[in-house]
Amino acid sequence: MYEDIVMNCGYGEKLILYFYGEADGALGAAVEAHIGNCPVCRDELAALKAAAALLSAVREPHPAVVEGVMRAARAAVSRERSFGLNWREALLSGALASVLAGAFALSGRPAGAELAWNSGLDAGLDRVEYSLYQEQAETPASSGDWDYHYSGLEDENFSAK
Amino acid sequence: MTDDELVAAFQAGDSGALGELLERHKAAVYGYLLRLTGRRDAAEDIFQEVFLKLVRDPSAYGQREKFRSWLFTVARNAAMDHFRRQGSRGEVPLQGEGDLPGPVDHVVSPEPGPEAAAVNKETGERIAAALGRLSQDQREVFYLRHYSGLSFKEIAGILGLPIGTVLARMSRAAAQLRKDLEKDTQ
Repeated sequence: MYEDIVMNCGYGEKLILYFYGEADGALGAAVEAHIGNCPVCRDELAALKAAAALLSAVREPHPAVVEGVMRAARAAVSRERSFGLNWREALLSGALASVLAGAFALSGRPAGAELAWNSGLDAGLDRVEYSLYQEQAETPASSGDWDYHYSGLEDENFSAK
Repeated sequence: MTDDELVAAFQAGDSGALGELLERHKAAVYGYLLRLTGRRDAAEDIFQEVFLKLVRDPSAYGQREKFRSWLFTVARNAAMDHFRRQGSRGEVPLQGEGDLPGPVDHVVSPEPGPEAAAVNKETGERIAAALGRLSQDQREVFYLRHYSGLSFKEIAGILGLPIGTVLARMSRAAAQLRKDLEKDTQ
């Protein structure tokens, strides 16, 4: 009789869904009603509960095993950062070198190029400055031109010693 | 933070995020591997292998599924590889053999939860023995469901089986447990 129920019950998989909380409203109600009339399903439910209780005891790996994983993770992250920084430095260096190379190339351009510091304007200014300098050189200097405020002080200090 | 956020943080260079993921999932993954292999050393080796996969290639988890699904897929595949290398299919006793303690002896928490506390030592040994007598297919599905907490649909995805097959294996496992426990009490 008991084995007949096992053969014909047909609630095996539904019981599994019910036990693991995956039987929705209608199915759950049907299973609950069935369990009330089926000793085999009641016994299976009890077996599942007992197994789940045994398996619920917490088991953890040795701390050294976990630490081994974390060590590898820290090393991987560190390697990644170092690789990333080197790439950025390389790019910056390359960019700077390009700018400097460009500036150097530009500095070696022929004198005929139309650049502000090589234009006729500067040559004109040079002539003006030179002529002023010549005038100053030809004019004799007077004592008033050199206003040494400290000369008297120096004489005073010297004579005081 | 969600698992996906922690993985993203680790992918961005935060090793502490991996630590958090380890804390969340280590008991479930290790418990599963320990039950499946029946050996602490094998379970620990495979456990490390599982998480090192993420360390070596953070992009291995692409967020196309739940992180836990991915984790247990990797764990299951690593366990299968282990069995292939060993030339067995994991049909090892769950209780101690010779000098090797069995999983029953590896309870870490000194104070088990209320459910576990209700199972006395003798009952625990009977249940462990009954679990050990399940076929490899039944045991795999049974432990995967219990330890992962994933739905049967997700487990079917991990195993590459139709959900009906997964449920059928679970049902047969439950029936086998019932019969074994009845025999022990007779």
